[in-house]
Amino acid sequence: MSTLVFLEHHGDELLKGSLGVLAKAATLGGGDVAGVVVGSGVRTLADGAGKFGAAKVYVADDAQLEAPLPQPRVDVIARLVRDTGIDTILFGNSVLTADVAAGLAARLDAGINWDLVDLVQEDGKLVGKRPALQDSVYVDVGWTSEPRIALFRSGSFDPNETGGSAEVEDVAVELEDFSSAARMVDQAHEESEGPSIEDAPVIVAGGRGLGGPENFTLVEELAKALGGAVGATRAVVDAGWYPYATQVGQTGKTVAPKLYIACGISGAIQHKVGMQSSGVIVAINKDTNAPIFEFSDLGVVGDVHEVVPKLTELVKQRKSS
Amino acid sequence: MTKPADFPPPFRTADYVAAPSDPPEERIDVGVLIVGAGPAGLACAIRLGQLLEDAPEIRERLGEVPVAILEKGKQAGSHLLSGAVVNPRALRRLFKGRKRLDEMPFYGPVEHESVYFLTQKSALRIPAPPTMRNEGNYVASLSRLGRWLAEQADEAGAMLLPETAAEKLLVADGRARGVRTGDKGRGRDGQPLGNFEPGSDLVAKVTVLAEGTQGHLTGVALDRFGLAGENPQVWALGVKEVWKVKRPLDRVIHTMGWPLRPGAKYREFGGSFIYPMGDDMLTLGMVVGLDYRDVELSVHDLLQELKTHPLVRKLLEGGERVAWGAKTIPEGGFLALPKQLHAPGLLIVGDGAGLVNVPALKGIHYAIESGRLAAEAAFASLQRGQTPATPGALAGYDEALRQSFVWKDLQEVRNMRPAFGRGFFLGGALAGAMTATKGRFPRRDLQLECDSDADLIRTERAKSYPSPDGKLTFDKLSSVFASGNKTRDEQANHIVLEREVPQDLALLWERMCPAQVYEATETGVDVTPSNCVQCGAITAKGGRLTPPEGGSGPEYKLT
Repeated sequence: MSTLVFLEHHGDELLKGSLGVLAKAATLGGGDVAGVVVGSGVRTLADGAGKFGAAKVYVADDAQLEAPLPQPRVDVIARLVRDTGIDTILFGNSVLTADVAAGLAARLDAGINWDLVDLVQEDGKLVGKRPALQDSVYVDVGWTSEPRIALFRSGSFDPNETGGSAEVEDVAVELEDFSSAARMVDQAHEESEGPSIEDAPVIVAGGRGLGGPENFTLVEELAKALGGAVGATRAVVDAGWYPYATQVGQTGKTVAPKLYIACGISGAIQHKVGMQSSGVIVAINKDTNAPIFEFSDLGVVGDVHEVVPKLTELVKQRKSS
Repeated sequence: MTKPADFPPPFRTADYVAAPSDPPEERIDVGVLIVGAGPAGLACAIRLGQLLEDAPEIRERLGEVPVAILEKGKQAGSHLLSGAVVNPRALRRLFKGRKRLDEMPFYGPVEHESVYFLTQKSALRIPAPPTMRNEGNYVASLSRLGRWLAEQADEAGAMLLPETAAEKLLVADGRARGVRTGDKGRGRDGQPLGNFEPGSDLVAKVTVLAEGTQGHLTGVALDRFGLAGENPQVWALGVKEVWKVKRPLDRVIHTMGWPLRPGAKYREFGGSFIYPMGDDMLTLGMVVGLDYRDVELSVHDLLQELKTHPLVRKLLEGGERVAWGAKTIPEGGFLALPKQLHAPGLLIVGDGAGLVNVPALKGIHYAIESGRLAAEAAFASLQRGQTPATPGALAGYDEALRQSFVWKDLQEVRNMRPAFGRGFFLGGALAGAMTATKGRFPRRDLQLECDSDADLIRTERAKSYPSPDGKLTFDKLSSVFASGNKTRDEQANHIVLEREVPQDLALLWERMCPAQVYEATETGVDVTPSNCVQCGAITAKGGRLTPPEGGSGPEYKLT
């Protein structure tokens, strides 16, 4: 088996999601694992990938690849796959990679399995695990031909460092005519203070139990003290207490911070699916029967208006001492 | 006393009727336009395909797209839900010489059946009423059957347009001309967002409304063309779950009695069904007539309660819920049928027309048969020298339906549903007399009353609903999740209703809705439209459901 992992970057950093997929690929064994970085001025990013298990990193560095558009990336990877005989190509899901993976499948006439949460070797065959029926069951999926393409749900794997270094190889960039038909007009990102909720190591989230929008300051202060981001439930976003960009859950963002503190959140399944892979979940809620306590590592039965300010105070004290 | 009808929704038919307005180069011309990829609409498409196969000159005249089917769900079947035990009669006829029953996606024939009268702790087996016998019928998931029918329709040359809602009926010169599809990508206040796509005019020679229960444009068309009959339509709400189970179920089960109350003042007419789905799954559901009165009644929670009954609990032991859904059922039957089911350029079929046999718990075969007959009438009107838009050109459909088994069946049982408005025991006795006389008793037909005209009462019914344990019993939000619903949250509200209402009515809506869309507040009611699974109960009880953005709502697969 010869595996290629697409390493997506933002600015001068490789994304955690792609590195997680790389780390996973390295544990599968049974062959070489390579990464590919595509962009402009990205050569320096390649070295870092060795720590996460890549034996080799291909670099396609060209000014034409500056904009994060899918078709030029399909050109680069399709060519690489044809030239090297790579048989398995893996992607961590994002807006960009979903397009790249789909385009690549069409270009190579390859089978694609998407929304996978795991990949294992069973009897010498690669088997993907795909949640179905609203994540209530896992379906085994496979490929009947090569090359195989897989797209993993974001946050499926931790980017574990294993040490090691990668050999870096430049690849030639030749784009198809039609690949330059799209151009990037503008790229903008929402301005916000502190880390974004997708990347934050700590998230403090608020729900209806806060009682009103003004009480979100309690959540904000705790998040600030912990160096984390603020999240919100659908109910409070719906009620207009907090912006949609912070919504965690089925119709919001899926997050997996090291620490998730849920303040006044009952823990409906729609919220749970967006944060259940968090490292440690702490719930503060005055309702003993709230479902959130069933999947929290630490539960505090109490009034958020009393508990949260005290917690903020303690964190501040600890930090300053 | 409060009743829902005193607070009518600010809904005007005129807002949903329009003349074609897109310039000719932007509008989409099709031959026959079918609204709704359910059993009726798909049967219509399949039959049209069969007829056009042998009539290339007509096919040619219908243009590039001879037959199109609009579907508001993600795919065919996404919004289909039923018990379902299917009478195969209409399918056999539709696929005669082309497909055999064993090629259709059934879970097998009904081999044994039991009917029980339940009390809280016990189950008394009673003989199955003659109308309810299921010998020769097959168990199916209607969602799955719908997906299969859609494949057949595709092979027959029909074009399926999923994720597209039919929002307005196009009418010009008093003739139906097609539909206008709903806009996509609007925000909460109706403002266009970055992904805004306007709807478009789909202009057709014949428009077939196959929207199912609570059809949005069906309601508009009945009003616009003055087709409504003497009696109002009435509905029931059905809520069901699909379970993976350890032991196969070897029969179909129906129950009556508990958790419903038999007293006439409560008007709680309904029961439950439990059907096997192969060796490792079963489906169970609770159906309750929406003429009920108690503001604390919740069909969702009655189903949770039903699962705690020893008879049911035993069947589910060690199992796991894998799907959930809810939908209304038109129950008025023969008495509530529109005066006629056609207008110039327009045909109405299936559940939307009200073709359901309540005492037999069946309607799928009527939907398929009516779809087939509509196809034949549409085809006849497209012959050279004919125009479907001429008044009366489609009357052949009504005539054929009157000659069919659908009409005869419905006529025989026409008075049974209203009889049960008098309580379970008296209703049962009257129904027996009706069966014995093949519908000649009573001599004078009974009357139906609008579901929203039932005066509200309030008991402490909710106290006995079990608290959800996440294993056997569930809360509504978990259920919505299991329906596959992941509707975009910032869509404009598609539910038309009066927001400032008395506490009683707000609570009625809150409890009634199986998907937690309504919440009673101090001044009235709050709405969370993205939870909506489009069951249609709100239309029966004083509001009006209109279609949300195409592709929204549940994504049923096994229901």
